[in-house]
Amino acid sequence: MFQNFRLAMAWVHTWFGLVLGFVLMVVFFFGSLSVFDREIDRWAIPESRFEPQPMPSFDRILKPVFESMQPSPESVAAMRPRVDGPMPEHFDTPVRWGAYTTHRDPVLGVFAGYQVPNAKDPEELVWGNRTIDPRTGESLPDDHLKIGSQFFYPLHYSLNFHWKDLGYWIVGLAALIMLVALVSGVVMHRKLFRELFTFRPGKSSQRRILDLHNLTGVVALPFHFMFAFTGLVIFAGMYFPVTHTQLEPLHDLHEIIEAEETGLPHERAGVAAPIASVDAMVAEAQRRWASKDMAGDVGFLAVQHVGDANSYVSGYRAGTDRIALTGEGIHFNGSTGEVIREDPVPSAVENIGEFLTGLHLQHFRHWLLRWLYVLGGLAGCVCIATGFLFFVKKRKRQHAQKGVSGARTVEALAVTTVTGMLIATLGILIANRLLPANLPARGDWEQYCFWAVWALAMAHAFWRSGPVSAVRTAPAWIEQCRAVAVLAVSAVALNWITTGDHLWRTLSAGYWPVAGVDLALLGSAVLALWAARQLKRRDRRAARAADESAAGEVVHA
Amino acid sequence: MPDNLMLLMALLSNVVGMGWLALAMEVHWKQVRGRTPRGNSTVLGLRALGALALTVSLVLCLKVDHPSMAALVWVMALAGAALVIAFTLAWRAQWLAILLARRPARARV
Repeated sequence: MFQNFRLAMAWVHTWFGLVLGFVLMVVFFFGSLSVFDREIDRWAIPESRFEPQPMPSFDRILKPVFESMQPSPESVAAMRPRVDGPMPEHFDTPVRWGAYTTHRDPVLGVFAGYQVPNAKDPEELVWGNRTIDPRTGESLPDDHLKIGSQFFYPLHYSLNFHWKDLGYWIVGLAALIMLVALVSGVVMHRKLFRELFTFRPGKSSQRRILDLHNLTGVVALPFHFMFAFTGLVIFAGMYFPVTHTQLEPLHDLHEIIEAEETGLPHERAGVAAPIASVDAMVAEAQRRWASKDMAGDVGFLAVQHVGDANSYVSGYRAGTDRIALTGEGIHFNGSTGEVIREDPVPSAVENIGEFLTGLHLQHFRHWLLRWLYVLGGLAGCVCIATGFLFFVKKRKRQHAQKGVSGARTVEALAVTTVTGMLIATLGILIANRLLPANLPARGDWEQYCFWAVWALAMAHAFWRSGPVSAVRTAPAWIEQCRAVAVLAVSAVALNWITTGDHLWRTLSAGYWPVAGVDLALLGSAVLALWAARQLKRRDRRAARAADESAAGEVVHA
Repeated sequence: MPDNLMLLMALLSNVVGMGWLALAMEVHWKQVRGRTPRGNSTVLGLRALGALALTVSLVLCLKVDHPSMAALVWVMALAGAALVIAFTLAWRAQWLAILLARRPARARV
């Protein structure tokens, strides 16, 4: 079919890259934003604009919160078809309580899982979530969307498309294709090292775009490769769900044997018993970590078999100073407070697994590395976007002559996924500041705004990408760049008007999470204006050249 | 030395190292030094200096962080440094003359 291997690779790179490139663009861009998800949360929820807090006292703050919780109506509704008979009004048997925090969280997310009477699978639980102010234990409204960690972040790995988990599968396929595109790209490129530093802005536009595509692809190749790969590793359990399909009996047996080995009860005893002081257990865990020269805070705290004689409490050290999310788990008997077990030093395989997932999820404290990840992610965006542009440039003239709309459609989709995506992102931030605070289901409305704005940007992209001339740029690019600038400045202004937190105040107070988001918005506005000006100038030059050549032809005639 | 300063030095060391490695390549040498010929020893020297600077950067990263984190910082900083050098070569190639201990010429040859 192809004359040689390289041509075959070029075909794979072009067509698979084109189709899944649009998904990858979303994954890379929202992945880059997710590096600062918790900071974006604070911008979006002004009540949470205070300093990050350590895990609060369980006995005083967390216990009353957990005791007042119930599963969410969504979780109960989802469970209904898997229960024989009616669902209870009130769920009395909590199986698991948990709280997870990092060094960047002012507010604390907690969750509780409850036994469901008459469930077809007795191990299946219904879940409730809550976000609290760890200083007081007061709840934050459930319908206020944490835009960073509850919208941008899941968009990065699931496109927020949860029907039959299809979003996860599409992103997984895109990550696989990303790996294929990297390998095929390297095969096509040939001069990987010889042209490592090559970017020739003075050359023809096709050459220039290809240079930038190669540059951003090659210099960040380790990043692109590792992130596509580790992303797949993180969701491997979902892509290969063997433990709950073919190997389920083995999995269940393993759980029981493991419980025997670790001494952590697998089942409830059926005898009620109150919980001892968890604060004392946390203090003991911290003492043990400190004695191993690993002093640290609790990152994850969980209670299993709540209220039962077999209950146990697990405390894990926050991985602030290392790549692994948490570690060094210590487990206590819930009713006596005695240590049952200290997790052994992880094996080499466990260490590698934790390194791979941890480097991707990045809950560690390292601001330089965080910014370098943003750089890698944005380099990925540039690489994908220039891939689209190269595709279009190469075919534009040809398609215009033949009257085919292929290049035009791809260009409109490129506008939608580059500037259109920025407009949608700014749209949700603006909606967040404009919607009334007490609007019911406010978070849902914010999400509708995001998708509506993106759909509008797409319509605009198709409308304003008419082939004015085969050589000219779609006007949609320039117009959307200007829109990005206006919207970004508006978002900063609205933050000031609605919360009083203007840049002068946040900067002088050193409150970087909010100041950083505002500065990034203003920076984007400047870049967008600059891009619009450059595009306009180039467009005028192209138009003049076209006029001159047309005039030349008239003279010849 | 404070950690932040060491990390800053690591970043700089990577940029300088990437610059030397670029100058060891003929096309980039010409961008900076025009037709001035260069000997084999210059090429080897530039490569060695480049490799040394990148190594120094890695050592600095390792001094600041746990090895697992330092490796990530270093690899990502390499990508950033390569971009800096590529863009400098594209628009202000003369600036790299500094890495050859020369004053940047006004106009490009």
